[in-house]
Amino acid sequence: MRYLWWLVRRQPWRVLRGSLIGTAWMIGLSVRPYLIARAVDDGLRAGDTRALTFWVAAIVVAGAGLSYLGIMRHRTMTFIREDAKARSAAVVLRQLSRIGAVLPRRVAAGEVATIGGSDIDWSAQVLTLTGPGVGAVVAYAVIAVVLWSISPMLALCVLVGVPVVGLVVGPLLRRLERAESVYRKQQGALTARSGDIVAGLRVLAGVGGRDLFARRYAARSRGLLAEGYRVGAVNSWIDAATVAIPGLFLAAVVWLTARMAVTGDVTIGELVAVYGYVATLIVPVWFLLEGSHQLIRGRVAARRIVALLRLTPDDVGGPRRRGSGKVPDARRPHAAAAPAHPADLHDPVTGLTVPAGRLTGVAADDPAAALALADRLGRYVASEATWGGVPLTGIALDEVRARILVADHDSYLFPGTLRDILLSRTGADDDTRPGSDDDRITAALRAASAEDIVDALPAGLDTPLDARARTLSGGQRQRVRLARALLAEPEVLILVDPTSAVDAHTEARIAERLRAARDGRTTVVLATSPLLLNRTDLVAHLRAGRVVATGAHADLLDEDPGYRHLVARDSADPDAERSADAEKAYP
Amino acid sequence: MSRLPVAERGTVRRALRDLIGRHRRAVGVVLALHAAAAVAGLAPPWLLGTIVDRVTGGTDVATVDRLALVIGGCVLVSALLSRYAQYAGHRFGERAVAELREEFVHRTLGLPVSVVERAGAGDLATRSSVDVSTVGTTVRDVVPTIVIASVQLALLFGAVFLLHPLLGLAALAGLPSIWAVTRWYLRRASSAYLIEGAASAELTETLTTTAEGARTVEALRLADDRIRHGTTRIAGVWRARRATLALRTVFFTVVEASYPLPIALVLLVGGALLSREMVSLGAVVAAALYLQQAIDPLDRLLQWTEQAQRGFASFARVLGVGLVPPEPPGTVATSRGERLVVREARFSYAGGHDVLHGIDLEVRPGERLAIVGPSGAGKSTLARLLAGIDAPRRGVVSIGGCPVTDLDPAERRRRIALVTQEHHVFIGSVRDNLAFAAPDASDEQMRSALATVGADWYAELPDGLDTPLGDGARQLAAAEAQQLALARLLLADPHTLILDEATAALDPTTARRTERALAAVLVGRTVIAIAHRLNTAHDADRVAVLADGRITEIGSHDELVAAGGAYSALWHSWHRHGDERPLSRKEQPS
Repeated sequence: MRYLWWLVRRQPWRVLRGSLIGTAWMIGLSVRPYLIARAVDDGLRAGDTRALTFWVAAIVVAGAGLSYLGIMRHRTMTFIREDAKARSAAVVLRQLSRIGAVLPRRVAAGEVATIGGSDIDWSAQVLTLTGPGVGAVVAYAVIAVVLWSISPMLALCVLVGVPVVGLVVGPLLRRLERAESVYRKQQGALTARSGDIVAGLRVLAGVGGRDLFARRYAARSRGLLAEGYRVGAVNSWIDAATVAIPGLFLAAVVWLTARMAVTGDVTIGELVAVYGYVATLIVPVWFLLEGSHQLIRGRVAARRIVALLRLTPDDVGGPRRRGSGKVPDARRPHAAAAPAHPADLHDPVTGLTVPAGRLTGVAADDPAAALALADRLGRYVASEATWGGVPLTGIALDEVRARILVADHDSYLFPGTLRDILLSRTGADDDTRPGSDDDRITAALRAASAEDIVDALPAGLDTPLDARARTLSGGQRQRVRLARALLAEPEVLILVDPTSAVDAHTEARIAERLRAARDGRTTVVLATSPLLLNRTDLVAHLRAGRVVATGAHADLLDEDPGYRHLVARDSADPDAERSADAEKAYP
Repeated sequence: MSRLPVAERGTVRRALRDLIGRHRRAVGVVLALHAAAAVAGLAPPWLLGTIVDRVTGGTDVATVDRLALVIGGCVLVSALLSRYAQYAGHRFGERAVAELREEFVHRTLGLPVSVVERAGAGDLATRSSVDVSTVGTTVRDVVPTIVIASVQLALLFGAVFLLHPLLGLAALAGLPSIWAVTRWYLRRASSAYLIEGAASAELTETLTTTAEGARTVEALRLADDRIRHGTTRIAGVWRARRATLALRTVFFTVVEASYPLPIALVLLVGGALLSREMVSLGAVVAAALYLQQAIDPLDRLLQWTEQAQRGFASFARVLGVGLVPPEPPGTVATSRGERLVVREARFSYAGGHDVLHGIDLEVRPGERLAIVGPSGAGKSTLARLLAGIDAPRRGVVSIGGCPVTDLDPAERRRRIALVTQEHHVFIGSVRDNLAFAAPDASDEQMRSALATVGADWYAELPDGLDTPLGDGARQLAAAEAQQLALARLLLADPHTLILDEATAALDPTTARRTERALAAVLVGRTVIAIAHRLNTAHDADRVAVLADGRITEIGSHDELVAAGGAYSALWHSWHRHGDERPLSRKEQPS
């Protein structure tokens, strides 16, 4: 509720204008029945052409005025809602961008889609109450006064009757909506089925089964058809009731008024006007009913948005950049000074030391241990790891992120052109690096042996790719990720399984070029491929979470049978491999 | 990318006519009921007019009571009639939508894979989701609303004519401005609303992708970049909304200002006629009330026309899928033998230069052939030719002496299966996911197939083969999905398997598990494996090295290693400590 209030307070003048115009429009709605009544009474009945002309002119002018008020109300309310939506989207966006690695663990992606897709809209919709909502209350009061002047008895009937009709019909409409939503859900499930068939078309082409799927879809479609008939039967009754109930009420009011007209208590014009007022009064009552419904829905939506905004990043120990909430402040007073120059990284858990300026390979028999190691070295978890002797946890997080990059093998590829994807980090960084963007891109693509990907795309670097670059193959995506990590040119680069999906020829090429591209800079490769490890300066063999041997790839192959088995995957003894594999697969 | 076709206006009209023709009786009933309901709905204003006349002429309360009762009766009758009209209309709409979507899926399933791939799966996916449901909404909701509103309007204006023809003419005089502004609006609205929809979809996408990639955002410090990106999107939404608001501003202002015009004219003309005693006061009042009553259906008609227009456009795209010629049924039902032979095969994609330059290859039944080579050498293309998905531009790919593309597609799929890194778990039970490859398989066979490929996760499923998978139900991990696909293959039992980097998209550990599962499937079949792991090549009977669309080396692993070519160099660097820099030749890719 406070969140909704905040959305209102950000635009006080616009909201005020919305209320005023909304009120004027609502009252204006009841002007036409009054004018028609006057035209009938003073003009037609009296046979007075001048009076008739006057009132008819008034009807046209009032119509133009009402349409102006109506559109101004719509415009103002649209701006109020859009302002609220944009504001919500901006704070949600800011939060999503800042919160970082913790997010996927705390919030399902579907939840964010709900917030972005509907919650923001719903919470903005509530603001409609500020305009026509306020107007409805005022208009209701005004019509009450006018009716009272015609006949107090009639006024009571109408003023009590209209809300009662609204309260009876309102829940019916809600039921209608519910029945529809059940149907729509089923329809959505059926749509998902046909999408499923489209997505799996290639599989079906590969092994067959098209007829079966066509039959199964048809059966489900028939099921939905039957459900649709059922919904239709109920809905058409509800629909008829929502028309008949106000209609009957109107008939009753006409009857009462006509009896009064017979006895001369009201004039003919007033009879026509009452008919019109009752019809118009429906509008404010609807707005109020709709508004209360919107308020309920909007509050639920706002609560979800606030829950997302309240999320805080995981505690990875030590100072963070957030606090002031504005510009990232890397060097908070109590942050330990990071090593000014490239320095060794050390992880006490495994006993691994990463020498500065060298290309280090880490071959782990358990991939989970390798991932955990990367998390510690990249400070995604609190740990005892040190950097140049300084505890990593004590250094400002922002500085760690700026200088140490962990490139996950499944790191995310955002939608955009290939150039955007590759260059994503540049804008935020120093621009002192030599060479133009294109030269650097070319160099990185070459190092990742990814030039052929660009060549194959219709517009080269400027080809737009969708989220996760789904149009690329697994191997191509992996090379794009590698090129992106290389382009970021971090002081320390930790690569997790960078070549697991590429063919041996390409892998050999990457191993060679990676070495040249990262020459003189600290690089860690977590992998078990002999082609990659062969090109490193130093390899650490990680067994059961500890470094058991360190040395050159060639030496380890000769001296460490466990290492030899892990990386060379000697197929001379398939049984041995199988049992060893079984151990790895089920740790 | 050649997009899927879109039906032309004439085709869409013909399809609509066919649809109505098929349901001629239903449509007739719906129209008749709606007309009757609308007629009953016309009575109250007319009766009110009568009351006005009687009261002016001096009458008693009993007459008023009777007339009021009739009004109430008319309301009830009208509501009842419109209920049945709506129900009949609803049933017709449901049936029509069901026919359309079933036809669409049927057509989709008949599309040749190569057409879908060239058009991009996205186009077809949009048509199957957005367009089919837009057409559904149009047929179910929009068309009935428009029909009802039109019937009501026709009757209301007709009633005014009946009261007096001159009153009717006066009523029509208010309409030209509405007609003009509606034309103006419709010409612009659809594209503006499409842009608006696209803009909000983009914003939602930015939010969800930012959430999905949160760790990457932190790692690569993309926060500012994402915020900048999203802010542009928010601005885009704002702009698009302003554009549609501007259209509405003009449209609604003119329309709403036009509503009182017929009323005003009717009153003026009514006054003139009244002074000549050509009509009664009640008739004029009734005419004014009819026109006031006409505002609601007119409003509905105008608001839904834009939707109807969009529905028409979607319908054209849905019908477009039917314009693609379905996969040819094939000329030969069966072929003798299992020997795969490729002769002088050349292939190019959509008029581009050749990707394969004359491939000659023979695969003996039961043989295991590994194809290795750098990316872009044409390995996957060759796999597709072997599986019969594409036909060679020149040359021939045959099995048992019969060109694979001449085989009946169903028969071909039974014999040759292509396994790629793409795996798809269909929404449905485990059984559904297995059975479509082998409809006759028993539960026992399914379970044993799952056991053979090492799908030990099956034991943990709560409902065994009936456990639902996908779309909100149990999600399978990549390796599990691949195992499921392999179990399906076992059941389908093809004699030839083509593996196109079946494990490449998996992480190394899962890839190893999957390879083990794969080994169980390969027993007793001809296997052609495109491999990026050299140990797969080592285990094969023969290895073919593909480079730049040509087979450069072919022979057993030992022969190729002994020959000292590119394969040998690669093998040494893979298998042994390779200080000798064996790859120098590969340093300069051509």
